[in-house]
Amino acid sequence: MTDLALELLRVEYAYRRDVALRGVSLKVRPGEVVAITGPSGCGKSTLLHCAAGILRPQAGTVQLAGQNLADLSEAVRTRLRRTQAGVVLQFGQLVPDLTLIDNVALPLLLEGHDRAGARRAAMEWLDRVGVGEDATAVPGELSGGQNQRAAVARALVTGPAIVFADEPTGSLDSLAGEQMMELLLASVHNGGAALVLVTHDNLVAAYADREVRLRDGAVQHEVALS
Amino acid sequence: MATAELVLGLLHNGPAHGYDVKRGHDAWFPDSRPLAFGQVYTTLSRLERDNLVEVVDRGSEGGPERTVYGLTEQGRAHLADWLAEPIQPALGAVDEMVRKVVATIHTGEDATAFLARQRASHLRRIRELRAASTDSDDDTPARLARDFVAVHLDADLRWLDGALDRITELKETRR
Repeated sequence: MTDLALELLRVEYAYRRDVALRGVSLKVRPGEVVAITGPSGCGKSTLLHCAAGILRPQAGTVQLAGQNLADLSEAVRTRLRRTQAGVVLQFGQLVPDLTLIDNVALPLLLEGHDRAGARRAAMEWLDRVGVGEDATAVPGELSGGQNQRAAVARALVTGPAIVFADEPTGSLDSLAGEQMMELLLASVHNGGAALVLVTHDNLVAAYADREVRLRDGAVQHEVALS
Repeated sequence: MATAELVLGLLHNGPAHGYDVKRGHDAWFPDSRPLAFGQVYTTLSRLERDNLVEVVDRGSEGGPERTVYGLTEQGRAHLADWLAEPIQPALGAVDEMVRKVVATIHTGEDATAFLARQRASHLRRIRELRAASTDSDDDTPARLARDFVAVHLDADLRWLDGALDRITELKETRR
């Protein structure tokens, strides 16, 4: 066991022709906020997807909440990912046909929680992120900022050890982006989770405790900001 | 630096003495260098000479004499003109940061470590500004002044990122 929220050791990943990650190692402590930065195409998003268990690296290991993802069966890995890793993407990526409350309740329902309990927990989170009044609206009826708030609620509803956010403010204007970051940080802090943030925006990176900058699929430098 | 016009602005809402002008300035721009007392008094004397402010009271209230200044009509008009006029975008100011990088390259040293340290220093400064902002959420003018500093730091950061990429590429092609 390890007391790290996340540990990547010499992770390598290649798409059909392009090598995206060339032996990247990364440690994230519980509650820590880490920004992954670097020019486009440097491997930031691939790193996040490998860390969150969405992509399986071809070499190296990923330990999420103390468990080596490669040692787990597909079913256990999916379950670990669902309960221990929240994900917030650039456009929220909510299920378009479901209301906000059902979107946020979904991870709990998939974990076998009863419907009433899941909806109650979802409603609490929607209230916390400031879109409780829109609980019965579907994503298409709301603004990007409102959907992104619901995505934060969905990422945190299971009480994950770590939240992964890929350009979480990328679709928002600067004021909405700032409010979104403040909300994301407060929510993550509130839930005691760590946050790994992929961003090309320096003003977003400045929210982190530590910056890891990638170039050509490798760590170019790593600096403490807090 | 338009200190004279700022002093006029600080007197806009009513007469004040030098100490209040200084305190008002420092509250308006909490992240800038505080206004020196000496500068406040020389500025007020110059503004008085130019008929932009006038002495409205020399009360001492038992303590040392405190000259209270107020705006004249001419001062009010001058302030309105200054506020209406856009500034000339500054060009050609070469920052110490740029000088260090250029000098490092010319002396054959590796600038990437400096650039990484400078990047971290800029990001930390943005964090500090934010930490200060959350203390006074409803203080919009102070927040705007801080945002101004933050977006300029962001512009520096973009330059630093570009420099880091260029220098790294150069190193790789020479390898």
